Amino acid sequence: MSRKIFVLFTLLALTAALLACTGAPPTSAPPTSAPATSAPQATTAPPATTASAARPIKVGIVDTYSGPPAAFGNDALNGFKLALSEINKDGVLGSNIEFVTRDDKYQPDTALSMAKELILEEKVDVLVGTVNSAAALAISSFAKEQKVPYIVWIAKSEAITGAKGHRYVFSTSENSAMAGKAGAEALAQKPYTKYWIAGEDYEYGHAIANAAWDNLKALKPDVTKAGETWWKTGEPDLTPYLTAIMAAKPDAIIFATGGAGMTNVLKTAKAMGLSDQIPIWIHTAIDTSVLKPLGANAPEGVMGTMDYLFYYPETPENKAFVKAYQDAYSAPPGFPAFHAYNTAHFIAEAFKKAGALDKEKFIDAMEGLKIDSPTGEIEMRACDHQVVEPLFMGVTKKNPQFEFMTASDLVSVAGKDVMPSCEEVLKKRSQ
Amino acid sequence: MDPSAVISLLLVGLARAMILFIVSAGLTFVLGVLRVPNVAHGSLYMIGAFVAFTIATAFGQSSAGFWFALILAPLVVAAVALIIERGLLSHLYQREHLMLILFTFGLMLILNDLVKLIWGAEYRSVTPPEILDGAVTLFGFNIPRYSLFLLFVGPLVAVGLWFLSNKTRLGKIARAASVDREMVGVLGINVSWVFAAAFVIGCALAGLGGALVAPTTSISLGMDLTIIIESFLIVIIGGLGNTWGALIGSILFGVSQSLGLLFFPQFAIAFPYAVVVIVLLLRPRGLLRSAW
Repeated sequence: MSRKIFVLFTLLALTAALLACTGAPPTSAPPTSAPATSAPQATTAPPATTASAARPIKVGIVDTYSGPPAAFGNDALNGFKLALSEINKDGVLGSNIEFVTRDDKYQPDTALSMAKELILEEKVDVLVGTVNSAAALAISSFAKEQKVPYIVWIAKSEAITGAKGHRYVFSTSENSAMAGKAGAEALAQKPYTKYWIAGEDYEYGHAIANAAWDNLKALKPDVTKAGETWWKTGEPDLTPYLTAIMAAKPDAIIFATGGAGMTNVLKTAKAMGLSDQIPIWIHTAIDTSVLKPLGANAPEGVMGTMDYLFYYPETPENKAFVKAYQDAYSAPPGFPAFHAYNTAHFIAEAFKKAGALDKEKFIDAMEGLKIDSPTGEIEMRACDHQVVEPLFMGVTKKNPQFEFMTASDLVSVAGKDVMPSCEEVLKKRSQ
Repeated sequence: MDPSAVISLLLVGLARAMILFIVSAGLTFVLGVLRVPNVAHGSLYMIGAFVAFTIATAFGQSSAGFWFALILAPLVVAAVALIIERGLLSHLYQREHLMLILFTFGLMLILNDLVKLIWGAEYRSVTPPEILDGAVTLFGFNIPRYSLFLLFVGPLVAVGLWFLSNKTRLGKIARAASVDREMVGVLGINVSWVFAAAFVIGCALAGLGGALVAPTTSISLGMDLTIIIESFLIVIIGGLGNTWGALIGSILFGVSQSLGLLFFPQFAIAFPYAVVVIVLLLRPRGLLRSAW
């Protein structure tokens, strides 16, 4: 009897450990496996000026609405809805844009089956989403097979539009190659030579670490890597990890992490006084969604990069976007809302330019398309379908205006200056 | 190797082990007395952390807020546990273990969705009280004051649990009931309420663990998963239902992780799990006597 129970337990623990290794918390199951949210139908029929399309454009959203990354998925959905409320006032091609959502639970396999359902059953015209880079890559290869355009809006792995890019995939998010180069350029100007690299053991973590390190090495050949530390996503206590890094006494640390893991790194670095002794660079360390929950608990002086901050640049366009979002959802927009808002406008403008509800014409229209975003004009680069947008660099600092820290000493970097050239990207694709 | 680095990593590893111990002691207590493998234990830990956040926020994240949260969060979790035990679990004790695992697994999913409904999907954070904020320098290394506080709380809980199960009437009945519940019932003792008390105490420990971990980490959905895996492993290597086994298992897990980081940083993720495998190979029934 008890032997049987032991076997049962060990099996249970092993299964659970396996689940954890896939890096995803399969914790919450919504009552229906596919909660569909439909766009509000326009009550009055839009004027049928163009004869080409009488039916609405259907956008399928596969994103993460459960587990910790749901904060990003929900923010993106809000940004997308806000843009549609503007776009659908005048309509596109004589109709409007509708959408359906599916929860991928941060799992690549769920993401793939949701994408299949949206393409084959719902017959969506365009697919968008998601948070997890591995999930985005899985959807991307299916979209290529089915010849359906897919726009990635939160995942940041450079492989999406880089080595694994193709005609049918686009990214409206800054990627790890851009962020890594921006970070490397900032670090190359500092006197540090002995670096330690640490982060979460998943696709994005390694992508951002490699991009930052390769660029830094190219810009400043005398830098050395003292060592690397990787922990599993969701690791609750980083004190032992950071103590071991401090014991190695590096000049500076590059942390490769995001989401809840980022909050953990910053919190532990503050508690240990690490950030006072060793300079730190983390992409998205200055992100509001990271700093807001920490309040005054965040360390000051951490270097970070970001492609969207609701308080910078202080242009009328950005202020108008923040106000509209805040009025609708009573919180300032995060970077996912910004990406999704831009994505909606890219979709609307591309269909207008294409003049027809045709997937191939849509892709041709997307290539090189420029739109006015809240942070200025942004462009969908024709050669690799990667958005060209500015990045902002700064350091965390207390701000009397808010209850949480914001970025100070902000500088703006043009997107084209930190992107790999078209030749480099195409060379990676052919390998 | 720098000996002071070893000592400081030993200390932070032990501090982590104390949280693991408090949570897995609750799990192993419920296992020992009720024979229920509570898969939802991690969810109660998560609820403890979120409740601690709510209480701390109600006090403006002040030092007083943290201390209130530390006391009240386990009580809130205990109340939730009492409802679960009286309303659902008490009707299921006669079922097979597999059914109980399925039941608590379902409970875990429900509790997780409840947490999402109440607190949303955003990350939360609790400010440590002023006296425990920052780090102290020991042997040239920065050790967070909060880690030292955990090193103080852990043994306190261990002694408290020992006292409860060996020196109190409730503890003695609970131990007896875990061996032969019919016999205890025949002696005229209301076993049902002893079980309820044991379940509530076990779950309150999960809540205490959640409240204690709150200032050191980001409070988010999914934090239940890591802890339930680790505490199940600890309970297994310690011996099912054995509190001291949970203590030894936690220390083994926490310290092997932190020292592993110093000597084999590239295998940091796998190191504590390798220790678990070795222990199970040498002592398949756990390090200490199992109550089963």
